[in-house]
Amino acid sequence: MVTIEINGQELKAKAGAMLIEVTDEAGINIPRFCYHKKLSISASCRQCLVEVKNAPKPLPACATPVMEGMKVFTRSPLALAAQKGTMEFLLINHPLDCPICDQGGECELQDVAVSCGSDVSRFVEGKRVVPAKNIGPLIATEMTRCIHCTRCIRFGEEIAGIREMGATGRGEHMVIGTYVEKSIDSELSGNIIDLCPVGALTSKPFRFQARAWELTQVEGVAPHDSVGSNLHLHLRGNKVMRVAPKDNESINECWISDRDRFSYQGLYSDDRLTVPKIKQNGEWQDVAWEVALDMAAAGLQEIGEGEQIASLVSPSSTLEELYLAQKVTRGLGSNNIDCRLRQGDFRLDGAEPAFSWLGLQITEIEDLNAALLVGSNTRKEQPILAHNLRKAAVSGAKVHFINPLQLELNYAASQQVTTPAGMVQSLAAVAKALGATGEGAAAKAIDKVVADDDAKAIASAMKDADNAAVMLGNIAAAHPDYSILCVLASAVANASGATLGFLAEAANSVGARLAGALPHLLPGAKAATEKGLDVMKLQKLPRKGYLLLGAEPGYDFWDAGLTQSALESADLVVALNTHTSPALEAAADILLPIAAFAETSGTYVNTAGEWQSFRGAVKPLGEARPAWKVLRVLGNLLDQKDCEYTSSEQVRDELASLCEGVVPDNSIGKAESADLQSAVDGLIRIGDVPLYALDSLVRRASALQQTKDAAPAAICINAEEAKKAGLADCDSAVVTQDGREATLPVSIDANIPDGCVRISAGLAGTETLGAQFGEVTLEKA
Amino acid sequence: MDFFISIWEALPLGLQTLIWTLLKIIAIVAPVMVCVAYFTYAERKIIGYMQVRVGPNRVGPKGWLQPIADAVKLMFKEIVIPTSANKVLFLIAPTLVLGPALAAWAVFPFNEELVLADINAGLLYILALTSVGVYGVIIAGWASNSKYAFLGAMRSAAQIVAYEIAMGFALVGVLVAAGSLNLGDIVRAQQGGLFSWFWLPLLPLFGVYVISGVAETNRAPFDVAEGESEIVAGFHVDYSGMTFAVFFLAEYANIILISALTAVLFLGGWLSPFEGWPVLGPLFDWVPGFVWLVMKTALFGFMFLWLRATFPRYRYDQIMRLGWKVFIPITIVWIAVVGLAVVYQLPWWFD
Amino acid sequence: MNALTNYFKSLFLLELFRGLSVTGRYLFKRKFTVMYPEEKAPVSPRFRGLHAQRRYPNGEERCIACKLCEATCPALAITIEAEPRDDGSRRTTRYDIDLFKCIFCGYCQESCPVDAIVETRLYEYHFENREDSLMTKAKLLAMGDKYESQIAADLDAQAKHR
Repeated sequence: MVTIEINGQELKAKAGAMLIEVTDEAGINIPRFCYHKKLSISASCRQCLVEVKNAPKPLPACATPVMEGMKVFTRSPLALAAQKGTMEFLLINHPLDCPICDQGGECELQDVAVSCGSDVSRFVEGKRVVPAKNIGPLIATEMTRCIHCTRCIRFGEEIAGIREMGATGRGEHMVIGTYVEKSIDSELSGNIIDLCPVGALTSKPFRFQARAWELTQVEGVAPHDSVGSNLHLHLRGNKVMRVAPKDNESINECWISDRDRFSYQGLYSDDRLTVPKIKQNGEWQDVAWEVALDMAAAGLQEIGEGEQIASLVSPSSTLEELYLAQKVTRGLGSNNIDCRLRQGDFRLDGAEPAFSWLGLQITEIEDLNAALLVGSNTRKEQPILAHNLRKAAVSGAKVHFINPLQLELNYAASQQVTTPAGMVQSLAAVAKALGATGEGAAAKAIDKVVADDDAKAIASAMKDADNAAVMLGNIAAAHPDYSILCVLASAVANASGATLGFLAEAANSVGARLAGALPHLLPGAKAATEKGLDVMKLQKLPRKGYLLLGAEPGYDFWDAGLTQSALESADLVVALNTHTSPALEAAADILLPIAAFAETSGTYVNTAGEWQSFRGAVKPLGEARPAWKVLRVLGNLLDQKDCEYTSSEQVRDELASLCEGVVPDNSIGKAESADLQSAVDGLIRIGDVPLYALDSLVRRASALQQTKDAAPAAICINAEEAKKAGLADCDSAVVTQDGREATLPVSIDANIPDGCVRISAGLAGTETLGAQFGEVTLEKA
Repeated sequence: MDFFISIWEALPLGLQTLIWTLLKIIAIVAPVMVCVAYFTYAERKIIGYMQVRVGPNRVGPKGWLQPIADAVKLMFKEIVIPTSANKVLFLIAPTLVLGPALAAWAVFPFNEELVLADINAGLLYILALTSVGVYGVIIAGWASNSKYAFLGAMRSAAQIVAYEIAMGFALVGVLVAAGSLNLGDIVRAQQGGLFSWFWLPLLPLFGVYVISGVAETNRAPFDVAEGESEIVAGFHVDYSGMTFAVFFLAEYANIILISALTAVLFLGGWLSPFEGWPVLGPLFDWVPGFVWLVMKTALFGFMFLWLRATFPRYRYDQIMRLGWKVFIPITIVWIAVVGLAVVYQLPWWFD
Repeated sequence: MNALTNYFKSLFLLELFRGLSVTGRYLFKRKFTVMYPEEKAPVSPRFRGLHAQRRYPNGEERCIACKLCEATCPALAITIEAEPRDDGSRRTTRYDIDLFKCIFCGYCQESCPVDAIVETRLYEYHFENREDSLMTKAKLLAMGDKYESQIAADLDAQAKHR
């Protein structure tokens, strides 16, 4: 620690810290443009010049390390003159177009110009003009306004991990942009909108929609991944106009993914459900809530036998919704409730951890020395976790992947790319290399393999690391042999001393376990005495009545085709949904519109086990109501007891008391069956869920759907396999899976291993297909 | 002509009297109504001029048809009767106000001979009738079943009771001086020119009478019964169309009546101001007495308007104080003075 | 003595007579009524009457949807919605002034960076329907087109004071 004096005030500072960090800590304001606490120091804007005693000239506070006994003056005549001079230079080329600039009203340059600038410009020469660039559907550019702070460039290099923006030219001819005309495709790219201190980079969907002073700011929690990024929702009237990050050092720092930032557009899509509807003689009719609810309650009661009723609940639902959904379902005498809509294997039910989680805190990821990720495309599944993982990798951690497809990573890592069945063997080989024997299914799997060099390399890296973790991602969860992957990962973790972690799929995948929205778990993650049927069994043994909550048939299920036929054959399907779709309308009998993200209050439990509650920011669109209220009324109409909640907080508190003493725990029991369900003779489908096909909201966010990550459904296959299937030179092919067909374009992709074909799920055109991982046959169209 | 006379004579005597009386009534009421109409016009013009405006000037030349337009408008307006009002009383009230204001003219001497009913107790009759008018106001306020209307009625009642006494005492002074209740006799008692009129010997009573007259007619500055700013329009807040017009007529008919009475009681009625004066007397001999009366009445009518244009409304308690604590004592004292003067036949007027 | 003076003053109503003399004098004063509509009072170039939106000489609307007028309006009479136009420029899709709310303070005109919203000399207007009280963008632009020469002249006359 050193002692310095700023404006006569004595302050303690960490040795080596920059002056601006100390002043920021002490609440002393120094104007700045290029400095950002999360980015490297460039000291290029010179706005933070301050006077330091005995220094011949003013020094930039962002690049001046503190020294013992330093005397600093931030508001002395010299400092002010230097800041004013810098401001005048910056304004030489900055256009005076604040009235048409979206940054107007929240612009750092405006603020500093008011505090440090002079009122009249002495510059009479022509200003520089830089043509605006099209860098994709998310970010609007107006490069004439750029003041060359280079925050966006540094963000690309240091945070996003891709050098997408750069500077060309020098001095007045310096231009920021992409090197060649190209879009910015990082999944975190939206953050440069917040970083840009002027209006050079602004949000394209928000372009010209509202002014900063018209917006009210409400806090929220991101609903699209298990990170639970903290958000600021900016509202005008009763409408979410844009979303910005809220700083939370323990979760998302100051970043959010583009998915969280731009998904709000889906709230106002044309196919939003705004009135309750019932199907009569095949025709949809708008009805009053009372009518629809009475019909739903009467219909459910009519079915009579509890086990003939099943609830399929989206894991993106709030904790309160999940809890009430299981309460209503169990109140009807059924344990058939599940929210693991995209899980491919349920053989571990009962032996898997009751409260599975990341295994460590989000901030601890960057301290890992080695990580083994099984079946995970982290960058596209949990972008913020990927950013943390990248930080670890950049500081030297050895990261290994075992995946059915080659990933485009933004850091150095070793990747094993094999078929789904090969993944099991690869993981077993790592376990073997570590000397683990395992038991039950794990033992059988390990017995069969030989540890090759790759496995040994991974094993030694894991063993040597102080902090190591084995993590299972979304692809692993959808894997037909998820149970075997789990026990093997557990064996690897135990043998190497690594932490076992689950990169939970959806916002409330972890919370669903606490809420008891699973067939074998009661609220508080207690084992149920009577086990219900899981999603897969519910599809294979169709029930008479279904209750859907936020789940869209055709897109949100592991086996979309099978779900659709199960729902269509049911007597009654009551769907509580935010949006409607042809598949939903074909399957459902009663549609109840529910509040979407930002419209309802609730709680998410993120993958690190943190409960985050939020309040409804805007009123639900049209006649839509928060789902917890709908479920509560449904409970009342079904004469269920203890269903008299008046607020979502009441529901949460009741659940919280049930969850007292429940601690996160990843210990895994024994899996019995070692049959490889993923071993197929022909081609196997890799049905990953793309970044922007995750849920109803994202699928309807128009700007996100124009990005490169939102490519339409296609048959991705490597050249060799294509040749074998006779698809080498054709545009589209017919996919046949479980007797159902779809015609899709063919795309040759070297990232797909032999024996596999990647047909992503959740996209238009794949609704009729079967399991996310299952045997398919291809035929030239 | 003979034909009409023969028809007339063929009618039974009772019917003849009835028609004759009706014709007389019309002969008085019709001119009064016209006067009322043009008095409203005069009011708007004069107050306008005092406020440096020009007043009504759009309907007809110089706005001369304005009162006609107002009348037509009021006649065609809907009469709204409040749901919870007492309908019978609500409709009787305006008539009850207008009736006495017109009936009083029956005993009024327009000149030496021209008087409909030359009764001895003329002054008493007028005093009685003007007091009946207040019942109309109270009934209107009560029957409307509205807070404001009722408040207005209460204020009006209290005010009229207070000023009736002062006014009555002032008139007692007049009848003591004149020695008669007959209005014609009162005028005749004032013969002898401007300075023989009662205004001079009864100056305090004259002042009290004029001011009480303003208060009796609920005119500014004593118009608390209407009080636009605090009780909207007082007793007639719920009246519209013709019913309102009748109140309006009654108010202005009363103003003209009080003005004319003042002329008769204190300014020598139809008498010329120059009576018996050398030079001026004979010079104005040709002017009919009726013209002098109209001029004197107009003078007081103008005074009513002048007061309204000048003074802000009195506070209710100030009105009560003025009536009870100032006017009544003054009149009592001066009645005593006049009484003594008459008894001891003091010069210059009573000798 | 003072009390005595006051007593006589009030007894003889001296102050009231003084009041009457004032109104009496005014009865004969020259009347300055303007015989509207045959005669009209002169209007200042600063007059703040009915609003108008202006265009540039080439026909392009001036308003750029900066929303400063909306922000500065003390009566919250202005409602603006904006969107990029097809050519990418910033334009309003809705610009409403609620004349029932407007207090004609002129702040909108003052805050406008492009002299788009102005208050004209026009004070003779009426509505027959409630909806007509809303000056929509189309109405404002039509006003601007109709009175552009007068508006330009007025702004010119005031330019050195602004």
